[in-house]
Amino acid sequence: MLSVNVVFFASLKEIIGQDSCVITLDLPVSIGQLKQKLANELKNGQALLDESIQSSVDFEFTRDADMISESVKEIAFFPPVTGG
Amino acid sequence: MIQVQQENFQVDDLYNNLLKANQTGAVVMFVGLVRQFSDLSKQACSFELEHYPGMTERNLQAIVDEANSRWSLLDVSVVHRVGRLSIDDQIVFVGVSAAHRAEAFEACDFIMDYLKSRAAFWKKETQGLESRWVAANTNDEKSLERWVK
Repeated sequence: MLSVNVVFFASLKEIIGQDSCVITLDLPVSIGQLKQKLANELKNGQALLDESIQSSVDFEFTRDADMISESVKEIAFFPPVTGG
Repeated sequence: MIQVQQENFQVDDLYNNLLKANQTGAVVMFVGLVRQFSDLSKQACSFELEHYPGMTERNLQAIVDEANSRWSLLDVSVVHRVGRLSIDDQIVFVGVSAAHRAEAFEACDFIMDYLKSRAAFWKKETQGLESRWVAANTNDEKSLERWVK
């Protein structure tokens, strides 16, 4: 079992109503599967399933098909970036 | 230099830091500002920039590294503000120095394009009592296509 910190940003953080949570995972799990799990467990978690939602693992952008490794420390979900 | 900060920045200081004695033939700089986004008074509007500490800096470094690998550059500075800003405030500075103008222009353009779509920042606009997160512009994503090798 792997315990991972999950963080949310911007509009997604406001919809879900929290900026982070700790989740226990039984590997192997993909980013897409984690998204589905969080969508079922969190209040307003369905917002995570919007196709625009992006993700990162330990500060690197990821895709739904990417697998979560044992060494992962932090996973983030967020809407498309709008800097500059 | 890559800097994510709340404080304002001085363009002349950043410009001077880009100059390399006897080598610099061109400096290209871009400054992005908060423009009026509402019919309400300037005082009734505010603007907030959220970022992901750690990831944002890494994203910017990766963009600058890619620019350095594509063009022969002398120096690059990227400064991006976060937190609460007002109309007319400076948001972002990208400066590039090189021996010749072509690479300085292209690298500056490239860095801004990627910063818009590949760096972890999110903008929120407030007009009076209403706030909204700014939606990503599909043209920004399209703009990246011209850099595909």
